[in-house]
Amino acid sequence: MKIIIAGAGSVGRYMAEQLSKFGHDIQLIDTNAKEVARVHAEGGTVTGLVGDACEISTLAKAGAADADVIAAVTGDDEDNLVVSLLAKQEFAVPRVVARVNNPNNEWMFNDMWGVDVSVSTPHLLTALVEEAVAVGSLVKLLSLEHGKAGLNEVTLAPGSPAVGNTIANLKLSRESVVVALIRDGHVVAPTPDTVLHENDEVLLLSTGDADEDLQRALIGPR
Amino acid sequence: MFRKRSKSNPPEVVAYDATPVAEVQSRVHTTVIGQITSIKTQPSRGLPNLVMKVTDESGSATVTWSGRRSIGGITLGRKILITGVAMRTGGIVAFVNPEYQLLA
Repeated sequence: MKIIIAGAGSVGRYMAEQLSKFGHDIQLIDTNAKEVARVHAEGGTVTGLVGDACEISTLAKAGAADADVIAAVTGDDEDNLVVSLLAKQEFAVPRVVARVNNPNNEWMFNDMWGVDVSVSTPHLLTALVEEAVAVGSLVKLLSLEHGKAGLNEVTLAPGSPAVGNTIANLKLSRESVVVALIRDGHVVAPTPDTVLHENDEVLLLSTGDADEDLQRALIGPR
Repeated sequence: MFRKRSKSNPPEVVAYDATPVAEVQSRVHTTVIGQITSIKTQPSRGLPNLVMKVTDESGSATVTWSGRRSIGGITLGRKILITGVAMRTGGIVAFVNPEYQLLA
C-alpha cells in the first residue's frame, strides 16, 4: 500500500519504519529537513520529502492522488486537521488517520474534517490504565466507524453471571460478538461452547449502544 | 463590511466538459452538471453538513458541504455545475466541498 505520513517526529518516523518493514511504500513529509534526513539514513522503502503537508502542492508532490492512506501525525492538532481535510477533499484519499495531541480537540477529528480514524494518545492511555485497574467493569478500548462500533473489554470478576457459562448461554444481543478471550496470558479463540472462567479478559466488538446488554451478561446488576 | 460584487462582470458561461455521473472515476478531478434533486442537512456529532444530490441522465452524485446548514442559491430543481475530486465507493459518487456554479 502507498502510505503518506505527515510529520517526521518520533511518531511519524517510528510508523514509517514499522510500516516499511511490512512492505508498504512510505512517503514521509516534514518541514524540518533535519528530521527528514534522519529518515533517509534509516533506509528501507521510506522516501522523505521536505515541505509543508498543509499545502496542496506538497501533498500532490508526495503522491496523494494515488495514496491508499494518509496519516497526519504531527505534534500540532491544527496541522493534522488541515492535512486530513485536504487529503479527503482534494485527493479523496480512502483512509485518513489523524493523531490527536490535545484531548480537548478530539471532538473536531471527525468526517467534517475528513478524518476517518482519530487516535488520541491521552484517551488511549486512560483506557489502558482503566483496563489495568478495572476488574468487573466495561472498558471501551477502541472506537471504530466514527463511534458506531467499538471494541470493549471486561475482565470477569468472581461474581460475574458469565463465569461458568458458555458463550452461547450469555445470550448477547445481535449487536455484540465475542472476538477473543485472554486467559492466563494466552489468547483463546471463542466458540459458542467455550466456558468462561473467573479473570478471563473478554474482548467484544459491539455496534450501537450495547453497554446495557454487556453489563447484564458479563458484569451483573450493579 | 462586505464588498458588493460588481454587476458589470457576471461570471462568464462557457461550454463545460462535463462527465456523465455514471462515468465518473474515483479520485479524478471531474466536472459534472446536473439538477439538484434533494437537499438535506445531515448533522454529524452536532455539526451541520449540507448534503445534496445532483442528478443527470446517467445517475446521481452526492455532494457534501461541511459546516453549512444552507448555501444561498442551492435550491431544489436548480441546474448546477460541480467540479472537484470525486470519490466512488460502491456505486455512490461523492464530492466533498467541491467548487460549484449555478447554471439556471
